[in-house]
Amino acid sequence: MLLNGRKQSMLTIGKLAALAQTTPDALRFYEREGLIAPTSKSEGGYRLYDAEAARRIRFIKQAQHCGFTLAEIHALLDLRATDAACCGDMRKRAIEKKLQLESRIKALKAMSDALGRLIADCNQERYPLDACPILAALESAELTASNGAR
Amino acid sequence: MQIELFYSPGCTQCDGARTQLKAAALQRFPQVQWCECNVLEALDRAVELGVLSLPALAVNGDLLFPKLPTPQQLCAALEPLARDEC
Repeated sequence: MLLNGRKQSMLTIGKLAALAQTTPDALRFYEREGLIAPTSKSEGGYRLYDAEAARRIRFIKQAQHCGFTLAEIHALLDLRATDAACCGDMRKRAIEKKLQLESRIKALKAMSDALGRLIADCNQERYPLDACPILAALESAELTASNGAR
Repeated sequence: MQIELFYSPGCTQCDGARTQLKAAALQRFPQVQWCECNVLEALDRAVELGVLSLPALAVNGDLLFPKLPTPQQLCAALEPLARDEC
């Protein structure tokens, strides 16, 4: 057994997953996406990770929590490792992500409002299906869309 | 003509480009209303215009440049708008 100081501090995928409060499958997925890589392998061929891997995984999870995609997180990790980068670079990306999220919220709100109007129009639950204003409105919207496409 | 330039505060790269653009636009089109918007203070307006990256520039309420143009590109885009206004 290699039990020098370095090897003793290495973590198997299971231990790293427990430390980072995630699953080994998630870590294998991150590895396939190029976000993490094992530091070395044991004599039995098992992946081994150092303490930096746990920090990196926490970073990935927090960034996902803030809405960043895996590709964006990849770029953030690269930025984090770039000597010439500064806090302003990270801040700019955070602001741009916020703009994207606000834009999606606005689009979702418009969808919700449109559904709200359809629901308000259909206030008679006992209408037969062919008299349902929601169906009529959706079909009419579909017709409008297909006419517009021609 | 109204120009809204959305920027992220603290971006030193944007500062120089903003100054150059403003000078070029005002020199060629003195009637331009130049407005620089800190995106954090004008988030709703930025979202309304579809700003997704910074810096970005809108002219008369249209996001003409999702990324900052060169002074030449900006003046070329403003030329027909200025003619329409005359």
